[in-house]
Amino acid sequence: MRAAYPDRAGHVERDGLGLGYEVFGQGEPTILLLPTWTIIHSRFWKMQVPYLARRNRVITYDGPGNGRSDRATDPARYSAESYAADAVAVLDACAVERAVVVGLSLGAQYATRLAALHPERVIGLALIGPALALGEPLPERAGIVESFQRPYPQDPQGWEKYNLAYWHDHYQDFAEFFFGQVFPEAHSTKPIEDAVGWALEGGPDILEAEASRPRPEVPDTEIFTEIDRPVLILHGTEDRIQPHRAGEEAARLSQGALVSMMGSGHMPNVRDPVRVNLLLRDFLERLSR
Amino acid sequence: MRAVYPDREDVVIRDGVEVHYEVYGDGEPTLFFIPASPITHSRIWKGLIPHLARHYRVLTLDGRGNGKSSRPTDPRAHSQEVVLGDLLAVLDASDTPSAVFIAHCHANSWAVALAAANPDRVDALVAIEPGVPYLGTPQPHWVETAQHWDEILESPTGWQLNNRHAITTRHREWVEFFFGEQLVEPHSTKQHDDAVEWALESTGDVLAAGEEGFDFGLPDRETADGIYRSLDLPTLTIHGDRDICQHVDRGRAFAEITGGDLVILAGAGHLTPARDPVAVNLAIRQFVDKTRGIPMPSHVWPRGMSRRKKALFLSSPIGLGHVHRDLAIAEELRAVVPDLEIDWLAQHPVTPVLEGAGEKVHPASGWLASESGHIASEASGHELHCFQALRRMDEILVANFMIFQEVVEEGLYDLVIGDEAWDVDYYWHENPELKRASNVWLTDFVGYLPMPDGGEHEAYLTADYNAEMIEHIARFPRIRDRAIFVGNADDIYPAVFGPDLPKIRDWTEEHFQFSGYITGFTPPAAGLAEEWRSELGYQPDEKVCIVTVGGSGVGRALLEKVIEAYPIAKERMPELRMVAVAGPRIDPDSLPSRPGLEVHGYLEGLYRHLAVCDLAVVQGGLTTTMELAAAQRPFLYFPLYNHFEQNFHVRHRLDQYGAGRHMDFRSTDPDLLAEAIATEVGRQVHYHPVETDGAQRAARLIAELI
Repeated sequence: MRAAYPDRAGHVERDGLGLGYEVFGQGEPTILLLPTWTIIHSRFWKMQVPYLARRNRVITYDGPGNGRSDRATDPARYSAESYAADAVAVLDACAVERAVVVGLSLGAQYATRLAALHPERVIGLALIGPALALGEPLPERAGIVESFQRPYPQDPQGWEKYNLAYWHDHYQDFAEFFFGQVFPEAHSTKPIEDAVGWALEGGPDILEAEASRPRPEVPDTEIFTEIDRPVLILHGTEDRIQPHRAGEEAARLSQGALVSMMGSGHMPNVRDPVRVNLLLRDFLERLSR
Repeated sequence: MRAVYPDREDVVIRDGVEVHYEVYGDGEPTLFFIPASPITHSRIWKGLIPHLARHYRVLTLDGRGNGKSSRPTDPRAHSQEVVLGDLLAVLDASDTPSAVFIAHCHANSWAVALAAANPDRVDALVAIEPGVPYLGTPQPHWVETAQHWDEILESPTGWQLNNRHAITTRHREWVEFFFGEQLVEPHSTKQHDDAVEWALESTGDVLAAGEEGFDFGLPDRETADGIYRSLDLPTLTIHGDRDICQHVDRGRAFAEITGGDLVILAGAGHLTPARDPVAVNLAIRQFVDKTRGIPMPSHVWPRGMSRRKKALFLSSPIGLGHVHRDLAIAEELRAVVPDLEIDWLAQHPVTPVLEGAGEKVHPASGWLASESGHIASEASGHELHCFQALRRMDEILVANFMIFQEVVEEGLYDLVIGDEAWDVDYYWHENPELKRASNVWLTDFVGYLPMPDGGEHEAYLTADYNAEMIEHIARFPRIRDRAIFVGNADDIYPAVFGPDLPKIRDWTEEHFQFSGYITGFTPPAAGLAEEWRSELGYQPDEKVCIVTVGGSGVGRALLEKVIEAYPIAKERMPELRMVAVAGPRIDPDSLPSRPGLEVHGYLEGLYRHLAVCDLAVVQGGLTTTMELAAAQRPFLYFPLYNHFEQNFHVRHRLDQYGAGRHMDFRSTDPDLLAEAIATEVGRQVHYHPVETDGAQRAARLIAELI
C-alpha cells in the first residue's frame, strides 16, 4: 500500500509519446517533482509526496522510458530540453501555471532547462545531488564515458560495470552495484532493493538510448546565467555519484543556498527523508512570502 | 544591572516636553518599541531588547509622562496628535527612516494612526495585547468605570479606582490593584513588583492626564474601522487569552481586519512581553524575518549517525567555584566517554580558567550578559542580598537563555550540562517545547531561604519561587533528565520550602541523585604538602595565614578588617606570615599596607596555598571553605550578610564536616579577630573527611545519558 494515492492520474501525449503523471493534494504553490535518470521512475519521491501533498498540490510524472510512460528509444527524447518540454506538457495537462520545481541528480539538468527556457512556469528550484557538469567528476568515475562502449573486462569491478555490453548481459548486477553506490549510508538495504526493483521495470535498451542523448544546448557551467529564480541545493558530502563540490559550485553559480548533508549519499530524499522534507518545506515557505 | 545598555540615548524636546529614546544594536530593520505610557515606560521591554538587538536595531522611547521623559499634567499634552508628533520626532532624531513598530496595549492605537498617516515610516506592526478602539469586546470594567470617571466616589475599591480622583489621590493603590489583576499567571511576583515600580515613577496626576488625553482626537467608530481596513502592512498580533485589560477578541479582530498573523498565548494575561519573554521574542523574530523574506541560509546538516557526541557545558560564573568542579567532571566524563566533544558556554571569570585548561569556549559566550558583574553590582560592604540579586537578574537570565537556545539548536548537542545554569532550567520548564538535548542539572543547594531581615514579604517570595520550581518539575519531569546534588543528603539544610510546601530534604532526595562533594582538587598527602610549602616559599617555622575573598568583588570590608587585625596578631605571634589575596575585582594597591603584610591581586594556584596554610580567613562561600575542609586546614569564615546560601546552606554543610570556625563580621573587631587568628593558626583539626570521588560519581551519572 502506498502512503498516499493520487487524487488524479492521467496521461499526456507530447510529440507522440505518452507520459503518465499523478496529482496529489491541493494548495498553492504547486510542487513539481521531476523525473531523474530513467533507470528509475517517479516512485523515488515516495517519501516526499505524502508530506508535501498535505499542504500543496504535488505533481509527479514518469520520464520517457520508465514507469507509466512510453518507452522511447530515440535518444533525442532524453535531452535536457526535451525533458523541459515534457514538464511543460505535464503542467499544462494539470492546468498549472507555475510550480516550485524539484530535481534529483539528472533531474537538475531538466529543472535548470525548464527554468531557463520557460521561466514563467517556475517559482523556484530545489536541486538534490545535482548531476551538472561543474568541475571534475569523482576520480573513480573519470573513465566511465570512454570505456562505456568498449568490451568490458572479464571480471569487472566497481565502475567497470558502467558499460553498455555489461548492461545488456548483467543488467540486474549493474543496478545492484549502482544503487549500492547511490546509498553509501550504512543499513540501506531497503532503499537499494526498492531502486533495483524500479530499475528492473525498465531495461538496458532504454538506458542505451538515454546514453546517446544530445548534449545540452547551453552547458551546465553557463546555464545559471539564464536563470533568475531562487535556488536551493541539497548535496550529500558522501555522494559517490556527483561530488559534493559540484553542489557547492552550483550554489555559487546560482547564488543559491547550499545545505551540505554530512554523511549523506546521492539520494538523501530516500535515506534522510525527514530532513529533506523539512528543508523543502522551509524553502517553500520562504518562496511564498 | 541591565542585560544590555543602549549604544546611544538622547531626548527630543517638543513644546518644552522632553521625550527620551534609546538605540541598541545596528542590524536591519529597526524595531521601534512603544510602551503603553504613561502607566509604564521602556523598561517593560527589558526581556526582549537584548535578544532582538543582537539581530536587529532596536529603538525604544519612554512615552511622555514616565521613565526618563517629562511628566506633563495637562491632558492636552497627551493627545493622540501630540504623541504621534513625539513618535515621528524620535524616528527623525534617531535617523530612522522607517521601522517595524512594536506596541503594547493602547500604544497600538498610536502605532495604527501613525501607520495610516505616514505609511512610509512603518514597515510592519507587532501589536501586543492591542488596545485598538472599537474592535472586539471591550472589558466591562472599563465601560462601567468610564461612566464615573469624574465623580467623587466614597471609598472606591477595585476597578472603581479607575477614576480621576482616585487615581490622583490613591495612585499606588490603583496601580497595585491594576497590575495585580493583569498578572493572572501564578508566580508573577517579580513582574508585578517591576510594573508597579515603573508606574510609581510617574504620578497619579500624569496618569489621569494621560487617560484623558488619549481620547482627544480619537476617530469615531466608522473612521477607525476605515483606518484598520486600509492598513497596508504586515501585522502580527500577540495576545494572552486571559488578558483582562484588552480582551483577546480585540486582538483576534485586529488580526482579522488587517489580514495579519495571530499568536495567542493561552493561559497568559496582559503582560506577555514581561511574563513570557521567550515566546514573545521568538514570535517577533519569526515575523520580522518572514516579512523581510530572508532567503534560506546555507548550512551543514549532519546525518544523525554521522554526528560526534557533543555536550554543551554551562558553568555558572557566580563565584569561581563551579569551574574547578566542572573541569573535574569533564575530565572524568571524557574517561568514560572518550569520543565526547565538550563545548563550554561561559563567561568571565570562568572563561580564562577554561581557556587555561585548554577547553573549547563557544564563541557565543562573548555575547552573554555578565552575571558576575551583576552580582558584584548588588554587593556592598560585607553584604550581598543573594536572593534579591538573583531575582533582579531576571533580564540577564532571559537574555542569556536566548543565546543558549540559539547555540544549542545550531550546535546539535546531544547533552546539556548546566552547573547552576538557572536560565536554562527556568526557561526550559517555562517553554518545554524548546528542549533540544538531554539535560543535566547540577547544584549544590536546593531551596531559596528567607533572611530574617527580609521579614514576612521575603518569606512569601522565597516560598513562591520554591513553589514554582516544585511545580515546574512535577509538571515537566522530562526537562531534567538527571538532577545531581553536589553533596550528600545530610548536607541539605533542614527546613521546608515554605508554608504548605515539602521538606527540602525529602523533596531533594526524591528528585536528585547525589554525587558527594566535588572539590576539583585532590588535597596533598602529608609529604607532598611539605613539598608544596617549600615550593611556595613558606618556611617550616612560619605560621602562614591566607586571607582571600573570592572573585565576586565583595570583600574589601573583610580584607580591611583583617589588615587592621594583622599588627595585633603579629605582635602576639611573631612567626605569623599573612598573605592577602584581593581577587580580580579589587585593586590590591587600594588596600592599606602594613609592614610584613603581603597583598596580591592574584595568586597562581591559590588552592595550593590554601591546602598547605596554617590558617585561612575567608567569606562563607562553599568552594573555598570546602577546599579548606578537604585539606584539613583551620579556617575562620565570615558569611556575607543576607546571603542565604552562605548563612544557611554552606554553614550547615560545614557543620556536617565539623569544619571551620563561624564568625560574625560586625561583632568581630580587630582585637577579637587577632585573637581568633592567634588561637586558630596552626591548630591541628580533625574534620570529617571530604570525599574525593565526587567528580567521578557525577560523570558516571551523566555518562548514562550519552
